[in-house]
Amino acid sequence: MPTVSVKWQKELFSNVEIDTSQSPYVFKCQLYDLTGVPPERQKIMVKGGLLKDDADWSTLGVKEGQKFMMMGTADEIVKAPEKGPVFAEDIPEEEQVIHVGHSAGLFNLGNTCYMNSTVQCLHSVPELKSALIKYPPPVRSNEVDQTSHLLTVATRDLFNDLDKNVKPVAPMRFLTELRKKYPQFAQLHNGVYMQQDAEECWTQLIYTLSQSLKSPSSSEGLDTVKRLFGIDLVSRVHCPESGEESTETESVYSLKCHISQEVNHLHEGLKHGLKSELEKASPSLGRSALYLKDSRINDLPRYLTVQFVRFFWKRESNQKAKILRKVDYPLELDVYDFCSDDLRKRLEVPRRILRDEEGKKLGLKTREKNSGSSSTDNDVKMAEAEASSNRSGDLSKSEPVEDAPEKEKALTGIYDLVAVLTHKGRSADSGHYVAWVKQENGKWIQFDDDNPIPQREEDITRLSGGGDWHMAYICMYKARDVPM
Amino acid sequence: MAPADPNSTGSTGGGATRDQASVKVPSKDPKKKDEKKDEDLSEEDLALKQQLELYVERVQDSDPGLQKAALESMRNLAGEIAQEYAKRQTEEAIIDDLMELVGQIVAFHMKHNAEPEAVDLLMEVEDLDLLVEHVDNANYKRTCLYLTSSAKYLPGPDDMLVLDIAYTIYMKFEEFPRALQIALYLDNMQYVKQVFTSCNDPQKKRQFCFILARHGITFELDEDMCSEDDEREGLQEIINNIKVNEGYLTLARDIEVMEPKSPEDIYKAHLLDGRASGGGSVDSARQNLAATFVNAFVNAGFGQDKLMTVPSEASSSGSSTSWLFKNKEHGKASAAASLGMILLWDVDSGLAQLDKYFHSTDMHVIAGALLGVGIVNCGIKNECDPALALLSEYVDKEDSSIRIGAIMGLGLAYAGSQDEQIRSKLTPILGDAKASLDVIAFTAISLGLVYVGSCNEDVAQAIIFALMDRSESELGEPLTRLLPLGLGLLYLGKQESVEATAEVSKTFDEKIRKYCDMTLLSCAYAGTGNVLKVQHFLGQCAQHLEKGETYQGPAVLGIAMVAMAEELGVEMAIRSLEHLLQYGEQNIRRAVPLALGLLCISNPKVNVMDTLSRLSHDADTEVAMAAIVSLGLIGAGTNNARIAGMLRNLSSYYYKDASLLFCVRIAQGLVHLGKGLLTLAPYHSERFLLSPTALAGLVTLLHACLDMKAIILGKYHYVLYFLVLAMQPRMLMTVDENLKPLSVPVRVGQAVDVVGQAGRPKTITGFQTHSTPVLLSAGDRAELATEKYVPLSPILEGFVILKENPEYREDH
Repeated sequence: MPTVSVKWQKELFSNVEIDTSQSPYVFKCQLYDLTGVPPERQKIMVKGGLLKDDADWSTLGVKEGQKFMMMGTADEIVKAPEKGPVFAEDIPEEEQVIHVGHSAGLFNLGNTCYMNSTVQCLHSVPELKSALIKYPPPVRSNEVDQTSHLLTVATRDLFNDLDKNVKPVAPMRFLTELRKKYPQFAQLHNGVYMQQDAEECWTQLIYTLSQSLKSPSSSEGLDTVKRLFGIDLVSRVHCPESGEESTETESVYSLKCHISQEVNHLHEGLKHGLKSELEKASPSLGRSALYLKDSRINDLPRYLTVQFVRFFWKRESNQKAKILRKVDYPLELDVYDFCSDDLRKRLEVPRRILRDEEGKKLGLKTREKNSGSSSTDNDVKMAEAEASSNRSGDLSKSEPVEDAPEKEKALTGIYDLVAVLTHKGRSADSGHYVAWVKQENGKWIQFDDDNPIPQREEDITRLSGGGDWHMAYICMYKARDVPM
Repeated sequence: MAPADPNSTGSTGGGATRDQASVKVPSKDPKKKDEKKDEDLSEEDLALKQQLELYVERVQDSDPGLQKAALESMRNLAGEIAQEYAKRQTEEAIIDDLMELVGQIVAFHMKHNAEPEAVDLLMEVEDLDLLVEHVDNANYKRTCLYLTSSAKYLPGPDDMLVLDIAYTIYMKFEEFPRALQIALYLDNMQYVKQVFTSCNDPQKKRQFCFILARHGITFELDEDMCSEDDEREGLQEIINNIKVNEGYLTLARDIEVMEPKSPEDIYKAHLLDGRASGGGSVDSARQNLAATFVNAFVNAGFGQDKLMTVPSEASSSGSSTSWLFKNKEHGKASAAASLGMILLWDVDSGLAQLDKYFHSTDMHVIAGALLGVGIVNCGIKNECDPALALLSEYVDKEDSSIRIGAIMGLGLAYAGSQDEQIRSKLTPILGDAKASLDVIAFTAISLGLVYVGSCNEDVAQAIIFALMDRSESELGEPLTRLLPLGLGLLYLGKQESVEATAEVSKTFDEKIRKYCDMTLLSCAYAGTGNVLKVQHFLGQCAQHLEKGETYQGPAVLGIAMVAMAEELGVEMAIRSLEHLLQYGEQNIRRAVPLALGLLCISNPKVNVMDTLSRLSHDADTEVAMAAIVSLGLIGAGTNNARIAGMLRNLSSYYYKDASLLFCVRIAQGLVHLGKGLLTLAPYHSERFLLSPTALAGLVTLLHACLDMKAIILGKYHYVLYFLVLAMQPRMLMTVDENLKPLSVPVRVGQAVDVVGQAGRPKTITGFQTHSTPVLLSAGDRAELATEKYVPLSPILEGFVILKENPEYREDH
């Protein structure tokens, strides 16, 4: 009966006796006693071979004091989880959008970056999307002409495509319809379609949509687009010469930010843009006289569009030249200063609520911190982890709240930047237009035609001009509202 | 005859006064001519001889000015003799008289610290044996240093001859570790044996064993080399590399890097701006696979990590299972095998942890477990041969992924062993008509690894037949490239021995003939520095090919493989590759980054780093991918902050391209290989010895990288594990005579080339003093900063045994 030593993991069992008259299975049972590894899980290695249960000891020629090595554990056997994980590579393309975190880019079809950037900016307005989904209404009004109808349908389909795809989309149909409706966009120069002014495209598109999305059945008589983008202005027209004074109201889709020598900031530009001089016939003087027009906002939209008046017609070069001046714009815009007294009154209560809420949030945070610092480090981490999970939970929860009946929400006059359309180059009809859009997850994406590039928020405010870098041309702000 | 008096005072050093000497023209009229025995000398020789005698006389002169002049003239004389010798060789005239002069000059030079001149002269007259008589205790070290370093620039077979002499001299002066190194360089096992038999000190023998273990060869001690059984067992254990895991972990504990790192710790996405791909909710199989590799590379050998090994306190069904199954299909094979990498060199716990995967029902998991067993055993020999025992029965299984796992595992575990059992297991597969191409390709590579540099006829035959059996379409498959490579590995560094096989390869199908030829040549001359072969490969790259031929890829790699032998060659090759980049065609440009990666492996040279960084943005994605992987290779195990930064930026640049991002991740893992404790450099012992298995592993990976998309980005990503063959701790670990770690102060600095310098110049510069164990970077050299101990090896790398210095006295 030879005795051998058996090495198992880091342990060494010396002097294990082998009963050579019995099968190796008996030996394995011996080892079972020592190691707790069931015989069928044991792998015993003898000189480059495995010991079989029915082997013959005599043929193996076991020597006294020989070393064996045993492999095997009593561990649980690895089982595949019943439901395997889902991999991004397996998911069909349309579902991937959610995981990528942003929608698709748009192919440039030959100098169409003005259109691509406009579409990308407008695409970021969910209310517009939902309104388009309902189009066409069961009862179509006759006011809408065929070309507008087709353009609206093309817009709807394009928005749909953008949401479904991860890969860039080619907006062929939309472009065709746009050019049909507005032949100026089909202008050719040397046989190539010309670069166009994005602001023109934006205005025309909004106008068309406002026409076609006007629901005749609506009790308010208001169209969706107007509710979303329309700004009511009340203007006091005053003639210093005669002392005449009158009030006018009008509705516009964007505020103009005039850029002059004194303007360094959006706020100043807007103030400038709301004042204008005009010459008209004065009934009291009996001749045309200079009138001053001083406008104030009387009603606020959900999405405030601000256009930087960067281009002016330069006769000598026969093109729309560009003002490169740097005009800063904030991520958070307060338009309270531009509002009429009437509107200010209406805004007071919501603004107070918003202030209170923000104060509460801050107060809550400080309290949380206090409790954290008093306990141990571990708890802080725990609290942080919880807080972060709560935060992410909040984000997902907050979305359905927004969709809740809108009447319960009140505007506060405070707006957050959600999209910037920039221009790079020296004139409106040349250069390159790009859209910078904030996604629902709070991340900024630069849509450079077919190439969406993630960006940092601080880089967005750097688009304020003053050089040859991209500079803001149109900014879109979203209203911050409070539930009432 | 020679009147030179051996007792004459040593020279006062000629170099410093060269200017003065050159002014003095030795034209004093030769008055004291000794005319005896001159009848058999030609007129010219007579003049020579007379001059020599005059010089010798002057050297003995008391006037130092005259002495210097004489020494200077001696150099001229040596040159004249060399010319005369060459002339007489062509005329086949008698040279005895010249040799007599040579003897005198050599004796003179050797006495006067001018060993290089003596060696040069003897090489010119092809009689190096003469040197052995003239070396003494004072100058043998410098002589041998000159011999060994000049060997790299000599054409064969002179280089072998020179090293042979160096070996003889070292043996004569009982400088055994150096002799052993030369024996290993010559790959002469007889010499290795001789070193063991000539040395009687058991401690020194242990040191030899450490040197052998680092070189990674299989070597069996017998009774002659060590008579006592117990002692022999202990020595054999060292050769079997059992100690490496222990030493590595001691190093890790000392440097305090035991804490496992997760792939996120390596990616450091928080340092990037908002561009880091959020992705988030859904796992990407590609990215998880990358994380698996990064995790394996970073935690290699530490025995713990954050993905695969379950922390002991966690519940039994912990994260290990879940991470394994976060990989898709063949990805699971790499994931299971990564456990082997994490437990690298720790056979006992490695096998225990891999055991659970053997009972899985998933073929890929079993394949991975088999591969993992091979990885754990890589470079380690065990008398129970667990790898062979466990893997051999899976070699002939149905499922091809299991077969590949077992075959590749065997190749890794027994690389360089020339194990007969493996051959008999694997060669039948090559002839198996039912085996799929991938199985055959991996079998060829495994055989090539096991028999690396052996020139084994039988294996060569088997692979050649397998190549001939391939159909036309199979020859076009990306994996087919592994067959010629397997064949080439058999002749790694064996130069002319490849010729017979290369002849046979000329009969192959046209599609693969040239490819095979290039691969064989590049392997055979790998690490030789043979300039003619480099030129040959460059010539091949200069040709403009018709479509479809791919043999220029291995030719470009061949340049790197041949030229990597020494620093000057490396520099020249880098410049040549730069030219190829500018003028070469696409298939050449794709291979250039890989060649750069091999030339500077684990040695991040700034100029190469810049070139690769530029190429990593190349318009051709395959060039970019190769450049990115090469960035990982040159930075492998260095934690180089610059490369890490570059890769981080690349990860945000390529965040949308899954394939390129995968390459970036792999490179990031490589840069932090073993948390910066490992190196992939196949050269060791002051860049003198080349570990054949390490080179074989690297070359295999690089050949696989020639078609990145099909192999590494396809389903054969586990070829990345071939790198395990080259992984070695880049440490200096000093141990006492009981092999327990011993901390002593050492100076670590940039190595200085002291060849041919007189006196005892400093061998390192810009050093810092550390206490062992320490990390050594590429080009670093260490020396003891204390007199208290004497190292048993002159080269302070890896494990070094220290002996107490008997003459040391503590001074107060």
